[in-house]
Amino acid sequence: MQLARRNLFQDKTRLALSVGGVALAVMLILLLNGFLTGMNRQITSYLDHSPGSLIVAQKGVSNLLGATSLLPPGAAGKVEAVNGVGKVASILSQFVILDLQGKKQPAYMIGYEPEQGGGPWEIGEGRKPATDSEIVFDGVLARRHNLHIGDTFEIMGQDFTIVGLSDGTASWMTSFFFIRTAAAEKLLRAPGATSFLLVTPAEGIAPEDLRGRLNALSGINALTKREMAANDLKLFAKIFSAPLRLMVAIAFLVGTMIVGLVIYTATVERQREYGVLKAIGAANRILYQVVMTQALVAAVTGALFGVLLAYGAGQWIMSARPQFLIVFDPRNVVWALLAGLGMALAAALFPARVVAGLAPAEVFRK
Amino acid sequence: MIRLAFRNLFQNKIHLVISVGGVALALLLMLSLDAVFAGVERQITAYINNSGADVFVSQSGVRNMHMAASSLPVSTIGAVKDVPGVEDGTPILYLTNMVAAGDERNLAYIIGLPEDAAMGGPWKVTDGRGNLRAGEAVIDRNIAQKSGVAVGDEVEILGGKLKVVGLSEETASLVNSVAFISLSDFVRFRGSPDAISFLLVKVKSGESPESVATRIETQVGNVTAQATADFAAQERRVVKDMSTDVIAIMNLIGFLIGLAVMALTVYTATLARRAEYGVLKALGARNGHLYRAVLAQALFSVAIGLGVGVVFTLLLSAIIPRLGLNLALEINAASLLKVSGASLVIAAVSAVLPIRQIAGLDPATVFRGK
Repeated sequence: MQLARRNLFQDKTRLALSVGGVALAVMLILLLNGFLTGMNRQITSYLDHSPGSLIVAQKGVSNLLGATSLLPPGAAGKVEAVNGVGKVASILSQFVILDLQGKKQPAYMIGYEPEQGGGPWEIGEGRKPATDSEIVFDGVLARRHNLHIGDTFEIMGQDFTIVGLSDGTASWMTSFFFIRTAAAEKLLRAPGATSFLLVTPAEGIAPEDLRGRLNALSGINALTKREMAANDLKLFAKIFSAPLRLMVAIAFLVGTMIVGLVIYTATVERQREYGVLKAIGAANRILYQVVMTQALVAAVTGALFGVLLAYGAGQWIMSARPQFLIVFDPRNVVWALLAGLGMALAAALFPARVVAGLAPAEVFRK
Repeated sequence: MIRLAFRNLFQNKIHLVISVGGVALALLLMLSLDAVFAGVERQITAYINNSGADVFVSQSGVRNMHMAASSLPVSTIGAVKDVPGVEDGTPILYLTNMVAAGDERNLAYIIGLPEDAAMGGPWKVTDGRGNLRAGEAVIDRNIAQKSGVAVGDEVEILGGKLKVVGLSEETASLVNSVAFISLSDFVRFRGSPDAISFLLVKVKSGESPESVATRIETQVGNVTAQATADFAAQERRVVKDMSTDVIAIMNLIGFLIGLAVMALTVYTATLARRAEYGVLKALGARNGHLYRAVLAQALFSVAIGLGVGVVFTLLLSAIIPRLGLNLALEINAASLLKVSGASLVIAAVSAVLPIRQIAGLDPATVFRGK
């Protein structure tokens, strides 16, 4: 083991480069996963913070963000009349593309009645919209585009004045903004329209029981908020998982190659020493152990640095680009460390073959 | 010195494979992400580009389709058709919903088409037919395969059951697919008889789509009219503006990884040849010559790495669609230029460490057996 340590630490620059390389690869894997976890949290943020535990959507709609929902006229009244329903808040929602400083920015519009709820859950600055030309805008998006309270901008041909900036409503893909229902109806040219009903069951009523009763109504689909959040997550996972897996696979391969290269060169350079060891009776197993230990030390140190780097880089990215949320799930950290171990195992293969193929007598011929 | 660089590079094949492979993978990381987004840009505009329309008319202020909603009164159809230079107009209804079959649900642009629509229908139907009547649907072939649906089967769209009469191609993207149903079903399921979403316009021969679009906007009022090329460009910008920051971050990481791999390989290669460099120095070779050899070595491996990275990306772009994934990778010139630039910087920076090592090399040490 001492031999392994000596081999590894003899050239400090090489060691630093190899540890750095693995650290970068592990950091990339962690950041990608952290990005996905953060995105998942952002995707369900509205469902996590809006009132009620059940959502009523149009029949055939089971997502909040994926599909446009338009409830049949009078649905709110029918839902309110169902036994076990406590409170109902109706919203009219739709994705829109905003033109902000010449940039296209997708945003999710929520038209709501401030007295019913379903609007912004945390207003950092300003107040709720009081008229049909007022808007509560996402704070992060406003700062990115230099928009302030009192500023006016156009959505689908109509002017709105920012009266409030909300927190916790941003995401890199889409941010939320809130206007009154009547304003949303005008924008979408759909008077009296409702997209979703946020239903709070009466005290003592289980959401699952109430869901069954609500689904007896025609033209609607009632789900628990948890079900709808899971559907939204599944939908976005479908879109992002393929490119993400591709990137993680590349990062893993790069990490493996870096450790492999370092251990390989270190082994080749010490070929004579290994030959001598063999000649004096060292079993292949011991030499494998030496190679393996080197790979393990380089990879694990790199992986640990990678975790630290990922944390630092994550903080930096989030302060420079607040629309990104990077969340490190402890499970992902464990996976990244295991990936480091995997890199070490894969990387030790080549050098081990070099050692195994070495003829003990060779060394004396040179 | 160039020969020396070549020899250093090719003498140890495994070393070469690892260094070139490492750089290739790092560059692949940058290239493939660019290619994924470029692919999405092309996929997302497929409907617009293949609609057959010259001009898209939408609600005032609505400039694209993806993640947008547009609503026009039915009276717009007649008003637009009266505009000089307009040959024909096809109204469509559009929103984003699911194509559901069993437990499989897939996001799709749902397009409501009038019977015998001249524009806006499926453009490549490889199974069944593309002409729709009430109670029928045309869905994407990949989505149909994933859902285990064939022509003649039923799917659920907008909460209603429809019979699949055709399977279309080129209508799926990483994000969603396109499904076509009849305008009457769309109205029945959605209850919006007085509105259309977009009006697809064909201009008379000899008329330019841009000037007809301007004429429509002035004469009809309260609508946005854009030539198809402009409408598609707006759609592409949605993807571009959304992805800029993600691409920038990934590029930086790819660049750093590429740099680490390259620095490591050039460094170890130089280290292994330290004695030779010492001899060369002792024989009177100037430091400048030796630096050039190291730099050339870095440049060669990065150039090969770049080539391999591009080939890998091309291979991926050929293989991925065959796996049934709706992911399309597309390499463009701008991305190649960017990655080539990054490669040059990587080569130059990675040569710095070994150059410093050579500069500090004492020619005499080599004879001391060190």
